[in-house]
Amino acid sequence: MSRRRIVAVVSALSAAAALAASLAGPAGASRISVSVSRAQISTHLGDRLTFRSTVVNHGQTAARGLIAHLNIVGLESAVYVDPEDWSSHRTIYLDALPAGESTTITWRLQAVSAGDFDVYVAVLPRRAIARPPTTGPAVRVAVADRRTLNSGGIVPLALGVPALLGLLALAVRFRRS
Amino acid sequence: MTTVAETANPAAERNAAPGWTVVVEQELRDLWLGGRGLLLSVAFSLLLSVIAYLVATNSALNFLEHRESVNLVLQVAIAVGGLLTLLAAADAVSGERERGTLESVLLSPVARSQIAVGKVLAALSLWVAAFAITVPYAWFLGRGVGIVSDALVTGVVVGTLLAVFLASLGLIVSLFAGSNRVSLSLSLFVLLALFAPTQLPSSAQQGWAGELLLRVNPLTAGEHYVGKILVSGHAWTQDLSWLASPLAAAVVLAAAAPILGARFMLLRGGVAG
Repeated sequence: MSRRRIVAVVSALSAAAALAASLAGPAGASRISVSVSRAQISTHLGDRLTFRSTVVNHGQTAARGLIAHLNIVGLESAVYVDPEDWSSHRTIYLDALPAGESTTITWRLQAVSAGDFDVYVAVLPRRAIARPPTTGPAVRVAVADRRTLNSGGIVPLALGVPALLGLLALAVRFRRS
Repeated sequence: MTTVAETANPAAERNAAPGWTVVVEQELRDLWLGGRGLLLSVAFSLLLSVIAYLVATNSALNFLEHRESVNLVLQVAIAVGGLLTLLAAADAVSGERERGTLESVLLSPVARSQIAVGKVLAALSLWVAAFAITVPYAWFLGRGVGIVSDALVTGVVVGTLLAVFLASLGLIVSLFAGSNRVSLSLSLFVLLALFAPTQLPSSAQQGWAGELLLRVNPLTAGEHYVGKILVSGHAWTQDLSWLASPLAAAVVLAAAAPILGARFMLLRGGVAG
């Protein structure tokens, strides 16, 4: 292959790469991957748990305006999940991620309901419209139940304290009269 | 016309003997053996019983909501305990005026500043009783989520600061009020106004102006601190700056109450003197 032909092929490939990059946009989600440090976590109700997610920019240019968001899904229909109860810091605005670089985020949660849950991280480009987010693999969280409230004991307490104070008030009144 | 009772008694003012102890003893006897304190305590315990029953029988509560319910019980205890303290103090001078018993109090050989101190301390006994009643409820609801000691310590610290602030405020209002009705209604209005920011939407509580409003107001600042410890699980020192306004309000008004009491505890009420 002549030198001139090699230069022409390289130029064509560069142009194609530039075109692909421009189509992908400045923070194309397809150039981003997300991985997590743990596949599954077993814990108890009320315990705190942490895992890390790593966002990698596989593109040729820096990825700017990325937002990482943590979400929690209950796998049993009977368990209501409010992700805000699990973690109050679920959205992280990432700094510009240079080409080929990665960043690691540590997520801290508290298991507020018993049952099985999937926790996953989605990364979205801030400026792109109608582009699907890049999601990492879900972390399966199994939360073992434990008894935190003995509702059976509330009646003696709820009736006993006012009754005791009422008797005391009556005794004071009788003593005065 | 100036009566003997209306002139300050310099000899009594200089008397270093703890005359306030006599006043406290008399006020406590009136409040507790008279039955008023016990009746208020019964009503207060009924309120906590209803809340505790509703919380304990709600099987849909998650772990965080369970912690929030302990926080709710403590907030109610602090708020209602503060309300009782405020109203007792607001009745202290203006009530005596209307019942015609202030003259005999002023003629007693106790400095007026010490009478003010004694009345504030007696009003604080309602907070002490309210907190004592709260202990079994906080223990019952908080033991499963491991926040009993946190709840009790934050309750004592924040509740006592706010109770001292409100009792002193009530006494000062009572000194200047033209009638007992004015004293009680004005005190209640001030308390409700102080609690009003808690009803603002969370978006209005954010930003520097919203945070400043919450920090400056002793009630919202104290409530915020309790919530951070019990619900968010923060360390004791993490949000300590939120206790600045409850502490400042308690110290300033507790110092002002006896000073103003010495000067303005008169037979006739009203700002015109």
